Amino acid sequence: MTKKTGWLVWASFALPLVLLVLSLNLGSYHIPLKEVWATIFGGTSAAGGPSPYADILFRIRLPRLLLAMFAGAALSVSGASLQALFKNPLVFEFSLGISYGAAFGAALSLVFLGRGFVPQLAAFAFAVVAVVLVLVIAGKSASQIVPVLLSGVIVSALFQALLSLVEFFANPYALQALIFWLLGSLSQAVWGDLAVTLPIIGLGVAVLVLFRWRLNVLSLGDEEARALGVNVRREKALVIAVATLTTAAATSVTGVINWVGLIVPHLVRMMVGADNRKVIPLSAALGASLLIVADDFARSAASFEIPIGILTSVVGIPFFIVLLKRSGKTWL
Amino acid sequence: MKLEVRNLSFSYDGFRLAVDSLVFAGSRVTSIVGPNGAGKSTFLKCLASVLPSARHALSVDGKDLAGVRGKERARLVGYVPQEPAFTFNYTVLDFVLTGRAAFIGMFSSPSGHDVRLAEEALHYVGLNGQARRPFLELSSGERRLVLIARALVQESEILLLDEPTSFLDPRHEVETMGLCRRLAEDKAKTIIVTLHNLEMAVRYSDAMVFMKGGRVVASGPPRGVLTEALLRDVYDLDMRIVECQGQTFFVK
Repeated sequence: MTKKTGWLVWASFALPLVLLVLSLNLGSYHIPLKEVWATIFGGTSAAGGPSPYADILFRIRLPRLLLAMFAGAALSVSGASLQALFKNPLVFEFSLGISYGAAFGAALSLVFLGRGFVPQLAAFAFAVVAVVLVLVIAGKSASQIVPVLLSGVIVSALFQALLSLVEFFANPYALQALIFWLLGSLSQAVWGDLAVTLPIIGLGVAVLVLFRWRLNVLSLGDEEARALGVNVRREKALVIAVATLTTAAATSVTGVINWVGLIVPHLVRMMVGADNRKVIPLSAALGASLLIVADDFARSAASFEIPIGILTSVVGIPFFIVLLKRSGKTWL
Repeated sequence: MKLEVRNLSFSYDGFRLAVDSLVFAGSRVTSIVGPNGAGKSTFLKCLASVLPSARHALSVDGKDLAGVRGKERARLVGYVPQEPAFTFNYTVLDFVLTGRAAFIGMFSSPSGHDVRLAEEALHYVGLNGQARRPFLELSSGERRLVLIARALVQESEILLLDEPTSFLDPRHEVETMGLCRRLAEDKAKTIIVTLHNLEMAVRYSDAMVFMKGGRVVASGPPRGVLTEALLRDVYDLDMRIVECQGQTFFVK
C-alpha cells in the first residue's frame, strides 16, 4: 500500500460524516439545510432564538442516522473480515446463522416474553447462540469452510423453523410488530438503545480495522498462517467473536438488514483489490455511507416508510447474481 | 542451524509416519525423495510444525521446539508450500509481506522497513519490478519464486520446501534448485526439499533421505547412499545408475 492510497483510505471516513449531515434535512418533514446547520452547531434557529427543529433533529433523525452509519459499518466490516478469515468471498452474517438467530430471539421476545426481556437483548443473545451452535456443530472441522457453511445453513434453517412456529402462535398485533422488525428498520432508534449498541459496534469495528493486515495472513489458510508464526486458533476465535458481537449488536436494533455484509466488501475489492489493509477500512466507510443513503430512500422515496431490509435485498440480490456470474474474476 | 528429529510419530486416516532419528545438517541442502504416498509432504509439514502434534520430536541446534512460541518458531523454521490455496488475488508485494507476520503485532501493519525487506527478497529471487503484479497473473515458476521470497523475509534459518520444482520447465527447475544452493552457500540457510526428480536431487543436494511407507529407508550423501538395490527397494522399479559428463542419470 503506497502512502497516497493509504491517505485516501482514511480520507474516505469523511464520506459517511458528510452524508449524515446532508441527510438530516431529509424526511417526512422538510428542514432546510441552513436550519439544520444552525440547530446543530449553534443550538438556535437560523434567525437566532430557540430552534423549532431541535426535537426532530436530535431525538428522531440524528439517532436514526447514527444507527444507519454504525450498522452499515458493522455489517460490512464483519462481512469482509469473515470472508477473509474463512477464505470464502460468499460468507457474511447470514452464513453463520446470525440473522435468523437474531430474528428468532426478537420474535420470542415480541410475541411471548413481553417487556421483561426486550427484543434487542433477546435478538443479541440468540444471534450469539446461533454462532456458537454453528461452531459446535462444525466441531473439529471448524477450520474448513464447507462444514462451517453447512452448519450455518442448518442452524439458520432451524431458527427459521422456530421463527415460523412463533409466528404461527402469535396474536395479530404481536405478529405485525414482528414482521415490521423482521423487514429491518431504523425507525426504532432511540438514544436509550443506542447508548448500549453504538459503543459495542464502535469498539468491534475499531478492533477489526486494527486487525486488518493480519487478515491477509489468516486468509492464506490455517497451515500457512501457522507456519508464518501466527497463533491461528486464538486469532480466528478473536475475529469470529468480535464480528459476531458487532453484527449481533447492530441486528438487534435494526432488525434483519441482509446483503450489506456481502455487497459492500465486494464493491470495495472491485475498486481497490484484495488487500485487507484497504478493504476493511473502506468497507466501514462505504457500508456506513450505503446504509445512510438507503435509509434516506426508505424515509423519503414514498409517502410511507419502506422497510430498509427490503431495499437492501431488492438491490442486493441482483447484485449477488451478477457477482456469481463474475466469480473467478480478478478483483478477489 | 541443524534440525534434529527424534521419535517422530504421526498418523492420520490409517497412514503412519514414524521417523526414529534423523539430523539435517546446517547450511546444507538435503532432499527427501521417495514414491508418491511415502509421506514426504507429511514429514515436511511435521518438520514445519504445521501439524502441531509433531513439535515435541523436533529440536534446532539442541533447542527443543516443543516449548517455543509460534512467533519464535517461525524465525527458526520457514515453510514453502507447493502452491498456496488462493481465494484472494493479492499483489506479489502484499503476499511476500505476509512472511513478516512473526515480526509484526496482531494489531499492526507492515512498516516501510518491512516493505524494503520484501523488495530486497524479490530482487534476490530475480523478480525485480514484479511487486505490484497480482499473484494469480504469475506463471508457476514465478509463483514458486514468490513463495521463496516470502520465506526469506521470514528470516528463518531453516527452510522447508515442498516439491519446489514440480510442474516447472527444465530452465525454471534448474533456476529454483540453483537458488536453493545459493541460499545454503551464501546465506548459510539449512535447506530441506522434497523432490521427485532424482537427477536434480543428486546434482543439488549435500544429503538425500529416502522414504517409503512413512519410514526413512536410507539417508546420507548422494554418492554414499545411492545404489541400484536401494532404488529398487524404494520405488519397486529397476533403475540403472549412469554417470555421464560428471552427472548422475537414472535409466528406467
